Amino acid sequence: MLKSKTFVKKTRSGGVMKIVREHYLRDDIWCGSEFCVECKQESPVLQKDACIESNLCSSTHYLIPDTNLVLHQLDILEDPLIRNVIILQTVLQEVRHRSAPVYKRMKDIIHDAEKHFYVFTNEHHRETFIEREQAESANDRNDRAIRVAAKWYSEHLKRAPQAEELQIVLLTNDRGNKEKADESGLVVYKCEEYIKSLTANPELVDRLALTSDDQNEITSSKILFPEHLPLSRIQAGIKSSTLLQGIFRASRDNYLEATVFVHGEGDESTEVLIQGLQNLNRAVYQDVVAVELLPRNQWVAPSSVVLQDEGPKDEDKEEESENMLKCEVSEAMLKPTGKVVGIIKRNWRPFCGMLFKSQIKEATRHLFTPADRRIPRIRIETRQAAALEGQRIMVAIDGWPKHSRYPNGHFVRNLGSAGDKETETEVLLLEHDVPHQAFSQAVLSFLPKMPWAITEEDMKKREDLRHLCVCSVDPPGCTDIDDTLHCQDLDNGNLEVGVHIADVSHFIRPGNALDQEAASRGTTVYLCERRIDMVPELLSSNLCSLRSNVERFAFSCIWEINHNAEILSTRFTKSVINSKASLTYAEAQMRIDDAHMNDDITKSLRGLNKLAKILKKRRIEGGALTLSSPEVRFHIDSETHDPIDLQTKELKETNSMVEEFMLLANISVAQKIYDEFSECALLRKHPAPPPSNYDILNKAAKSKDIVIHTDSAKALADSLDEAKVDGFTYFNTLLRILATRCMMQAVYFCSGMDSDFHHYGLASPIYTHFTSPIRRYSDIIVHRLLAVAIGADTTYPDLMDKHKQSTLCNNLNYRHKMAQYAQRASVAFHTQLFFKSRGNLNEDGFILFVRKNAIIVLIPKFGLEGTVFFESKDKANPRLTFDEEGPTLTVENHAFHMFDKVKVTISLDASKIQHQKIRMALIEPVIPGVSVAPPEDGPEAKKAKLDR
Amino acid sequence: MATVQVSEAEKVYIMHGVRDDLRVDGRGCEDYRHMEIETDVVSNTDGSAKVTLGHTAILVGIKAEIGKPRPMVADEGFLEFFVDCSANATPEFEGRGGDELGTELSNTLYKVFNNRNSIDLRTLCISPGEHCWVLYIDVLLLQCDGNLFDAISVAVKAALFNTRIPKVHISEDEEGGKEIELSDDPYDCMRLNVENVPCIVTLCKVGHRHVVDATLLEKACSEGGRGSLDPESIFEMTETGKRVGKALHAPLMEVLQKEESLGKKRQKVGFLG
Repeated sequence: MLKSKTFVKKTRSGGVMKIVREHYLRDDIWCGSEFCVECKQESPVLQKDACIESNLCSSTHYLIPDTNLVLHQLDILEDPLIRNVIILQTVLQEVRHRSAPVYKRMKDIIHDAEKHFYVFTNEHHRETFIEREQAESANDRNDRAIRVAAKWYSEHLKRAPQAEELQIVLLTNDRGNKEKADESGLVVYKCEEYIKSLTANPELVDRLALTSDDQNEITSSKILFPEHLPLSRIQAGIKSSTLLQGIFRASRDNYLEATVFVHGEGDESTEVLIQGLQNLNRAVYQDVVAVELLPRNQWVAPSSVVLQDEGPKDEDKEEESENMLKCEVSEAMLKPTGKVVGIIKRNWRPFCGMLFKSQIKEATRHLFTPADRRIPRIRIETRQAAALEGQRIMVAIDGWPKHSRYPNGHFVRNLGSAGDKETETEVLLLEHDVPHQAFSQAVLSFLPKMPWAITEEDMKKREDLRHLCVCSVDPPGCTDIDDTLHCQDLDNGNLEVGVHIADVSHFIRPGNALDQEAASRGTTVYLCERRIDMVPELLSSNLCSLRSNVERFAFSCIWEINHNAEILSTRFTKSVINSKASLTYAEAQMRIDDAHMNDDITKSLRGLNKLAKILKKRRIEGGALTLSSPEVRFHIDSETHDPIDLQTKELKETNSMVEEFMLLANISVAQKIYDEFSECALLRKHPAPPPSNYDILNKAAKSKDIVIHTDSAKALADSLDEAKVDGFTYFNTLLRILATRCMMQAVYFCSGMDSDFHHYGLASPIYTHFTSPIRRYSDIIVHRLLAVAIGADTTYPDLMDKHKQSTLCNNLNYRHKMAQYAQRASVAFHTQLFFKSRGNLNEDGFILFVRKNAIIVLIPKFGLEGTVFFESKDKANPRLTFDEEGPTLTVENHAFHMFDKVKVTISLDASKIQHQKIRMALIEPVIPGVSVAPPEDGPEAKKAKLDR
Repeated sequence: MATVQVSEAEKVYIMHGVRDDLRVDGRGCEDYRHMEIETDVVSNTDGSAKVTLGHTAILVGIKAEIGKPRPMVADEGFLEFFVDCSANATPEFEGRGGDELGTELSNTLYKVFNNRNSIDLRTLCISPGEHCWVLYIDVLLLQCDGNLFDAISVAVKAALFNTRIPKVHISEDEEGGKEIELSDDPYDCMRLNVENVPCIVTLCKVGHRHVVDATLLEKACSEGGRGSLDPESIFEMTETGKRVGKALHAPLMEVLQKEESLGKKRQKVGFLG
């Protein structure tokens, strides 16, 4: 039967359009229940034994949630306990309309066969379709549609045999809807009512989101915050520029302070300072907010005080701490200050953290302390506080009413006990937004079918390079080998050098689920004992990995090079290779050094090594920087996976040999794709740092009477080479570590959207990433561009769309940054584990930075950096004098300079489980009342603190 | 226009019949043929009607769009006509064959309907000088069996009666920028008053008398539109036209109202009925 749905819509040009859609009603939409004998369904989703122990409905029942329930109580629906739910099409459509993330989560639940969620297309069912009536709002119509469908279900299933007991339960929090449903004889409950009736599973109650109804009882009715402006007023305000729109960034160190980053046109981006609870007005980190600037005479300067929210306290105290922020400052220090007047978009996600148990026994309302200090504490309701103590949990914010000091939220899930390796890894992945779920079936379905073999067809399209003596050189234990090399003599006396990169783009075709997933992940993340792959393991460790003695697809870049390492010609081709050996850096080094070995692989390696040395020399002459960062590797115990030792990374000649050729390949490819596609080449740039970045480096060098020239990369590289102090061999490394800190972040960009291509660190006018497609998505795009450029593959619209590419670049840059942070967090956590098992250690270190009240010490042995504080809360502070120019810090009578050698004792401070950290205390030089005596080894020493 | 051949004897027979107020199909001189009207036949228009008169079949669809008022009459909306003489109606319309007739018809319709006496054009104004509703009236000839003008005018009137224009209101922001806002209730719409919308009555002089709603045969008997009329008979014909027009208007409005009152229960006939 045909119906038409009519609605009017405003067009973009301001016109009004009447749109008519044909709407077909059918008789063959089945109910999806195992009870039913009328419907001709093949595999019913809803079970016969749909039983949850509830004292409201004791018998079997199916649930029908309404739209608001799905939107606000999705955490409940996601619980494995909740099964046999009928999701009406009306609800699903409304959810899709209102919130894309919730819709996606809902789809995931529906696809989960274990959950027995059935989507009933009531809008197309002849008996459940209803038309909107006169004077009926769209919402009322949908509510009615839900009731009609629920009614239909209960009547339909009443006719089924053995289903006398079966009930259809409508869940809604809408009072009007509930009344009407009651009138028409439906079984209807409020969500809280129903969940609380599930007596066998009390823990579900915790996952209820707090709805506005309950909020009143939680807090006193005293209004703490000013009302937010409605969106229409905000929009008008932004248009007339009385309000500013920006991203809210809470301060890490001070919970009463935040900045709002206002994105202006061009370079006109500004930061607005917000101080005080009232002015922060319930904004949460990363929210998009509207701010109003305060008059100039109320502007303040950012405070340098560290303030942490210590939990519930009196308002007087709160005021006191707000007053602390205000201190006399010079006019020049004042920053534009404002207040938050409205929220444009909340950016709440579930937060990891720990429960801060209420002091009152039996209390069910507790505060939750997020791991990220920029997020306020969240008030949640739980009956399992005792069980959650010491656990890492996840909590979602539901809302922040204006009379509540803290936002309200609900418990989402338990991640495990704090300090546990798996839990902490999970936390750091979640907090750094690293997608780490197992690959979905949709993604895996695009993998090649095993057993996989190279076909005749493939061979025709590719150059056969199997005869070449190709080998790979990687760190030990590497399973995702994406680059191999070869070098051979040509008849004309020149050399042929080839870099062969895994041909990942052959397996990952544009636009499919596998491609989308890889694009979203952006990069493989390497943690200390875990690797989170960008592509499924079958590809990363097998089909794409260029392992020895198997035939693999490669994308080859082949140069003809003379003995002076000058490139005579370059060509690119898709190929088939057969690696002759997978070597580690050490193995390759041994082969080169061992004069007795004279096989093809070794000869090839020697040729490469010789050329690499010339290339490197030339590159450094051109102004490329060799910087240094203290990197450590953990020796992991094979049984317990605990770190048992750490060692700083050692660089061999072969490391730089591989690196040289990768750089060469990347530069050649960058040039080629840019020549071919000047508007949409994906490149990588490294901007030169602004001169002010070098201040700290200059000061540090001056303290040793050395001048560092920072006018250009070349000057910097040269002065770093010359900077040497007799009897202080580590000095140069320290300087290089400092120089690294001055650098800017290298980023991907689309050539059509930018004009500055220069790569400062490598001193190359153009650069890209081509050589690691298994672990970086950028390389896959570059492969595709290159393949199109040489006619080896077809193009697709998104590849040539510079705006789409630019969006992709932003995601890749974000993912890379997050991956780096996650990696660092992982190293930090393992360092803690290491010191936990070691007890206290006394080590030599160098002062890297001097601060107002502390020195930052680097321990070269562990590549570990830590802070030695000279102030503490519970004792008299020593006399401190800080000289900004030096910079030096004089503690009592001893002056600390940068690069001074000190001896410290390292211990793990476990007093705060949420934020465990490495604590360092000074041993030498001995300053009475400040330094500590070298502790004896043993458990006793763990408690060593500054004040003893 | 479809032409029919008529023999001398036939012509005499018809003229004598008319003289005695008895036409070939049994009608009197002032009677219309059987007429069928159905409104709301095309769902993606804002108003539509289908009219059959004898074998003449007309479909009218009206689309309301927002446009700019004409400068001379800033507080009025306006109508636009387009008449499509499809080759469905008669093979002579094939190619560009119907263009001339189409233009003639639409010009006439514009003159007749687009004025203040026919419809209150001010109700079509949204904001004077800036926005108004423009009603695009599309007339489609499905079949031609004489008396096109009368049939079209009835169909246009019925379609105007059926037209529902979505209600809009202008919201003004602080700087005086105007924005059109649309009600989200599809039932919230504006109707037109069609009480004064005219019906065209075409008279055809056959012999010494005149008839309304002439069939093609009768038309062929009436000099084919050429020749002259004496003032006396013009006066007479005008009087007849007035009388017939009034008699046509009242039952037409009644039928339209009655159809409307059926609401959703009405069984739609459509084009296959």
